[in-house]
Amino acid sequence: METSSALPVVKLSMEQLGDARSSGVMSSFLPVRPNSSREKFPKIPDSQLVLMEREIRSNPLPSDYTPFVSDGGNVRPLFLSPSGLSSDLRFSSSLPNERHTDGTPFANQLLNAEVSLSSTYSSNTGIFQVPNNNLPKDPTAVTWCPDTVQGTGNSKINDSLIMVSDDLSKQNEWWSDIMNVDWKDLLNDTTIAESQSKVVYPAAQSSPNNSMHQLQTHQSVPCHSGEVCSITSTMSATTSTAAKPRMRWTPELHERFIDAVVQLGGSEKATPKGVLNIMKVEGLTICHVKSHLQKYRTTRHIPDSSEGMPEKRITQSEELPSLNLKTGINEALRLQMEVQKRLHEQLEIQRSMQLRIEEQARCLQIMIEKQRKSTMEKQHASSTPEEPTTHSTAENELPEAGNSSSGLKRTEVSRQVGSKWKMPELETSKEKETDAIIGCPSTSKHIRGSAERDAKETHKNIKDASGEIKKTAENVREKISAAADQVVDKTIEAAGNVIDSAQGGRAKEGSQSAWGSAKETMQKIKDTVVGKAEESQQSIKDGRENTKRAMDAKN
Amino acid sequence: MKFGKRLKRQIEESLPEWRDKFLCYKDLKKLVKLISATQPSSKAEAEFICLLNSEIDKFNAFFVDQEEEFIIRQMELQEWIKRRVAATSAAAEYARIGTEMVNLHGEMVLLVNYSSVNYTGLAKILKKYDKRTGGLLRLPFIEKVLEQPFFTTDLISKLVKECESTMDSMFPAAAAAATAAREEAVMVVEQRVFRNAVAALVTMRELRRGSSTYGHFSLPPLSSPDADLLQSLQLPSPIPIL
Repeated sequence: METSSALPVVKLSMEQLGDARSSGVMSSFLPVRPNSSREKFPKIPDSQLVLMEREIRSNPLPSDYTPFVSDGGNVRPLFLSPSGLSSDLRFSSSLPNERHTDGTPFANQLLNAEVSLSSTYSSNTGIFQVPNNNLPKDPTAVTWCPDTVQGTGNSKINDSLIMVSDDLSKQNEWWSDIMNVDWKDLLNDTTIAESQSKVVYPAAQSSPNNSMHQLQTHQSVPCHSGEVCSITSTMSATTSTAAKPRMRWTPELHERFIDAVVQLGGSEKATPKGVLNIMKVEGLTICHVKSHLQKYRTTRHIPDSSEGMPEKRITQSEELPSLNLKTGINEALRLQMEVQKRLHEQLEIQRSMQLRIEEQARCLQIMIEKQRKSTMEKQHASSTPEEPTTHSTAENELPEAGNSSSGLKRTEVSRQVGSKWKMPELETSKEKETDAIIGCPSTSKHIRGSAERDAKETHKNIKDASGEIKKTAENVREKISAAADQVVDKTIEAAGNVIDSAQGGRAKEGSQSAWGSAKETMQKIKDTVVGKAEESQQSIKDGRENTKRAMDAKN
Repeated sequence: MKFGKRLKRQIEESLPEWRDKFLCYKDLKKLVKLISATQPSSKAEAEFICLLNSEIDKFNAFFVDQEEEFIIRQMELQEWIKRRVAATSAAAEYARIGTEMVNLHGEMVLLVNYSSVNYTGLAKILKKYDKRTGGLLRLPFIEKVLEQPFFTTDLISKLVKECESTMDSMFPAAAAAATAAREEAVMVVEQRVFRNAVAALVTMRELRRGSSTYGHFSLPPLSSPDADLLQSLQLPSPIPIL
């Protein structure tokens, strides 16, 4: 994965804003890395929007009520920039097989909602969701997940909501700032309606119970109708920036922040506005700074208070003669550190593996797509008994499989290779091919010839791909066995010691034997890994053989 | 439901404020079950997608938020260390710094683990979805997930490594002369994070155990204690402060 610092990110977001402004579209401040600016959030924009609209409509509340959604949990469109718009569309179009995607229910709802809210509705104003997103994040904010509602019960939700309400009142003043500062900069004329709806909109959030109900209802509502997704994408993607799009801080940015704070005389004296001016970072809003400053103040209190910690502690440690000043670290701390280190290592390894696996999957998918396309082309070619056409198609670089037998091979192979994938389109095209071939006996010879060539190429490609997978699996296996061994051993020690000290050896024997059997199991699993990896290699091999066999049979 | 159980256990062991930030795997599974294999564009499918999206939002929000806090804490800790090293402080001070640092390190690692667990859950549920509907949602969706803030853990990993190196320089491994008296209070503070870390490790092993649907997209097993083993591995409840 790319590692880029925040500053480029900030600039990028600014560019996005710039674009947005020029195109009359508001985009939210997107923190993500430059490379991945295309596709940020694969989500369907709709539901969030609709949710919000419903709430607005049914809960008109005093306008001084502060909008809630601080954790941005619900309001997805927040993350969409102008590029996000295209990414959304891309996403919907890239899933031709996605039945549900095509029929996104939301557009209808959205349209209705928007129309009812503002008379000057234009497709450029994806207003509704934004205000929520732009609020300063509140780490304690509720996750407005319908499943939260359903799964965890009311009490938890109510508690969270109560927390939210408290925070909201705090954020009240921030909200007015937001309205003053950012709006002037970022809004253009067409989005005046936005501001109107924004004022109303936040208000909708006040009553926790109602909102929750609505949330529940909303969740089911948007998913009813089956309208086209693209409209929704358009609307949701063009979000207005308003108060606080999500921001991703980095150490560099934070250092600048600290410098600014120091210049202003400390965290207590510094004001967000002052800090913002000193920092001079493009795209940074006062809202970001405010929330960050608040976090900073809270964090500072901890070291301060701990310095005034009870004297008991100091007395205790002074009593320990063996305590070396610099290195008198508690053994348990050391242990904890070890465990944490191991965990982190494992996580990193796991992550790189996951990325590699996905990459492989992508390559395979592309290959299969190419095959499919060339099949379709072949099919067209085969229906006209012209040599040139057939040959030219055959000469395509794409691995082609022009007739029914290679189609069969392909399907089989892809079944093997793409294990859990279903490839309905391949099967369909196979049928089509058969029909085409039957209808044109004169071309069968040509087709056979080119088919052989195609099949050979396909065979080669599959072989390469499976070789790759094999290599990856092997590497991964080795690494994991090695690392796992280490982890198990170390952790066995560590946990054994901790448990020991914690319980005075009460459960020591139990845990020791447990850890011992963990080791055994580890060995067993290692063997299983080998076995499984070989299995998968075998299945790929089989696929190849099938291909070969079919080819031979054809001959 | 194996993953679901593991996830649940992991959540139980996790820091309290994190517990509702994990993937709602169970609910997603329920939705997948509701999806009928024959009828396209059903309500359940759309609901599924809705929920997925909102989950991802949730992860992103929480992750970025925590990341911000960690950045602040890390910086503060470093400042504190600079101040204390300048004025050679009492051992207690160092112990405190050490505790803070180890806990911060732990929490950061747990955040990375959070990201990983949720990713695994997403991958699994998408696989189930594809299996159920015969669709191809998994691949494109997971590719986008890879780009999400909550999955791009490079910064946190970097901070973790910085933490480790600071620890090493501050408390060289050589002087591991164990202190005779363990500070019970310290132990209790650690417990929270420590237990979570051990639980995370154990869970990881569980998840990586060879599964019935092993395929090209499954990670190789790490290790696998069975359920009973896991039970006995659970750390005891935090020891009371004496």
